[in-house]
Amino acid sequence: MKIVAVTACPTGIAHTYMAAEQLEKTGKALGHTIKVETQGAMGIEHQLSPEDIRTADVAIFAADIGVEARDRFRALRIVEVPVQLAIRDPKAVFAKLEQ
Amino acid sequence: MALEYSFRCPLIYGLHARPATALAELVQQYASHVTLTNERTGTTADAASVLELVSAGVLHDDPCRLVILGADEAAAHKALARFIAEELPAQDLPLPEPQPRGAATAPRVLAGEEIACITGIAASAGIGIGRVVIVGGLALPEELRAEAPADAEVELMKLQAALNGVCAAMQAQLARSASQTEAAILRASLAIVKDTAFAGQLNELVSKGRRTAAQAVVEAVQSFAARIEATGSAYLRERVVDLQDIGAQLLERLGYRGAAAEEVMLTEPSVVCAAGLAPRQFLALDRRFLRGLVLAGAGTTSHAVILARSFGIPAVVGVQDALAQLAGQEVSVDANRGVVLHPVSPAVRRFYEREMERDRKRKRRDACGVDAPAMTRDRRRVEVSANIATDAEAASALANGAEGVGLFRTEMLLAERDTPPSEDEQFEVYRRAVEAMQGRTVIIRTFDIGGDKPLPYLSLPREENPFLGNRGLRLYAEHGELIDAQLRAIARASAFGPVWVMAPMVSAVEEARWFKARVAQAQGELSAAGVGFDPHMRVGIMVEVPSAALVIDLLSIVVDFFSIGTNDLCQYFLAVDRGNRQVAALHNVRDPAFLRLLKIAADDAHRCGKWIGVCGEMARDVRNTPLLIGLGLDELSLSAPEIPAVKAAVARLDSAECRKLLEQALACDSAASVDALLGKLPSTEVRLPLVSKELIVLDSDSRTKEEVIKELADLLYVAGRTDAPDQLEEALWAREAVYSTGLGYGFAIPHCKSDGVGADSLAMLRLARPVEWGSLDGKPVGFAILLAIRESDPSDTHMRVLAKLARKLMDEGFREALGSAGDAGVMLALLARELEINQDEV
Repeated sequence: MKIVAVTACPTGIAHTYMAAEQLEKTGKALGHTIKVETQGAMGIEHQLSPEDIRTADVAIFAADIGVEARDRFRALRIVEVPVQLAIRDPKAVFAKLEQ
Repeated sequence: MALEYSFRCPLIYGLHARPATALAELVQQYASHVTLTNERTGTTADAASVLELVSAGVLHDDPCRLVILGADEAAAHKALARFIAEELPAQDLPLPEPQPRGAATAPRVLAGEEIACITGIAASAGIGIGRVVIVGGLALPEELRAEAPADAEVELMKLQAALNGVCAAMQAQLARSASQTEAAILRASLAIVKDTAFAGQLNELVSKGRRTAAQAVVEAVQSFAARIEATGSAYLRERVVDLQDIGAQLLERLGYRGAAAEEVMLTEPSVVCAAGLAPRQFLALDRRFLRGLVLAGAGTTSHAVILARSFGIPAVVGVQDALAQLAGQEVSVDANRGVVLHPVSPAVRRFYEREMERDRKRKRRDACGVDAPAMTRDRRRVEVSANIATDAEAASALANGAEGVGLFRTEMLLAERDTPPSEDEQFEVYRRAVEAMQGRTVIIRTFDIGGDKPLPYLSLPREENPFLGNRGLRLYAEHGELIDAQLRAIARASAFGPVWVMAPMVSAVEEARWFKARVAQAQGELSAAGVGFDPHMRVGIMVEVPSAALVIDLLSIVVDFFSIGTNDLCQYFLAVDRGNRQVAALHNVRDPAFLRLLKIAADDAHRCGKWIGVCGEMARDVRNTPLLIGLGLDELSLSAPEIPAVKAAVARLDSAECRKLLEQALACDSAASVDALLGKLPSTEVRLPLVSKELIVLDSDSRTKEEVIKELADLLYVAGRTDAPDQLEEALWAREAVYSTGLGYGFAIPHCKSDGVGADSLAMLRLARPVEWGSLDGKPVGFAILLAIRESDPSDTHMRVLAKLARKLMDEGFREALGSAGDAGVMLALLARELEINQDEV
């Protein structure tokens, strides 16, 4: 699958990036194409382009706070999980996509 | 007839004993009668009486009026005006802000312990563990009332004897005193004993009031105490303890035992508890065993507290009943947080021993910089020396890191006497100062006197304008014996250590020549008498008259060195009297014109191969340090307590940048523009790399999450990266409250953004035993990595580091490498490489 994801944690310092790292590694290992946008203390990084979003199959929000500019994703199915799940058990996050 | 002088009290704590003593002593030098009226309260005091001045209750900013009447009123008026404008504001040692009540709590680490935590107000920082010793307060015996006096004459004699006895005892103690703070406080007490109004009231009570000597003492003390209590100043009210103690001492001499508190002998580490403590009682305590002080009275400015601070004794005040129930029990006085804890369980002991160790390490680090010679970042040397006025200050100068004495003002030797000081007397003073400085150079300035500073044994006629008159070196020719005696004394002292001599108020080359010749003449006389001196003693001049600054090249042919007296130089140069409030604001050493003058002087001196330093107030303000470094001056000389701050300022600066800054300043069109330029320099924090070896501990024995977080904050404190480790701890806990920073895999990344952080820092603890953290995966933590960021940090470089760290921790290989790093150096290299931290930022 072609997946886009956004990670966002309240203080935006560490967990945002850890979650991003886990989703990228696990997603690739499972054979998916995945691009992750981080919304953290440094603002929005690796911002997803309209093209990325348009061509994706599904979006993952690993977020404990509201995702910024979420209406970019209104045409996509969104799977929302807590940041901690993405860090602790990324496989479970991808499993949710199948449901 | 009668002159007046109005002013507003500049002292934050009002006109209290110490400045009142100085003012009274000045007034006593004149025949005129001087009164001070506090226009807020309407009280008028005889300005020659310390007690009346203090009882006038002059508080900060109170409008006051001096009325001076007498034959020498003009001279008195000028002297008083100068004193109030220039010396009075400097009379107070700055007292640190006491922490507000209610902020005192037991440390987090001890939260779970079964201990009692008694809150008070932290008055003198530090930690002390010891057994409680209760010290009684002062009691003025009530049973005296019934007695009737036999004979007024006899009672007067008994009174005088008692006053003399107390006076002599205090003077003996003063002579033994090694601490300036102690001496200042004793002098203030002595001034009360000698106070004319006090003595006057005592005499009146006995001769007219038919009281016994003892009754008179009690009543006089109570009367003045009541007046002081009524002033409404908490600070002034604390003087009542001192007054009562003097009363108790007088009563003892009159035969009433038990008035004063018994002497307490400390025999083991002790915490002394009392309702209040007079200076004499505090000073009598054996400081080898005194670990802490707990007082019931809530004042943080009493003499006992001032002395405690001065001797580094932790003190907590405002503790009701000052631990009366705990006599003999061990307690821990935490005067950093303002609490007293008991019992001293193993956890409490461990906590405080770790804190004391932390504080020792931090002190050692702070002292480190102080003893080293001052050096800029690019390793340019600048001497940082002390200005002193007495030989006794030399020791304090050294303790504060002075590399020499840049200005020994000798006028103190002339004051408070009826005859000029002899050559031998002077020699003793100079020799003591030279020896105390242990091989460091002492620059002695010959007498700087003038028509505005009257001396009974020198006829210095009144002048219309003494600042432009016969002063300094200009007077020397007509007071030959005085200057010759001084020069001989200075030359003799030069045999005991490196001494340079300089003359004040030199405005022309022929004056410098005259002075040099006079020095040579003094040396010649010593030589003929077979008395030793240093024939190579350097002879120099103060640069304080603007003309001298423009003929440095001509002066360099005659003298060996120059010292810039910026106070007077700036006044003469900008035509501003600093004591004149209308124009005082125009006196600004950062005026570009003044900076140009300094540059001319400095450049010319160096071109002629001569040493040039600065000894005016410009040197003590760290705002000016970049300009002074930019001028390339060889030395900065200032008051000793400010030396550590100036040395630290020098260490932060790059001399090339300072030179560039100075060039820009010279092109500015106003002092305000210069200030704006200075404001653009990097702020006070030193540029430090994100992580360093001292922030890495690979075998931490912290046992709980609380201990780990405290240890991390303390690492930053010891490394000088924060001055508020408690604040940092709180910020870290605030972050923990959002959700746990335990990431799993045995790692935790406590972090925060706080204005308690002085420099962005990454610290790491590898724990000997894993610690419960409430982690995401429920497993204990073996690594805690702290990231602390300055609140005002505009860049996100360090955020990137944390982001990178967070990502890296997801990689098993990285985690294993951290686990097996052998020492701090290896760990540092690993972190620097993996997290791409630029270690070159220094």
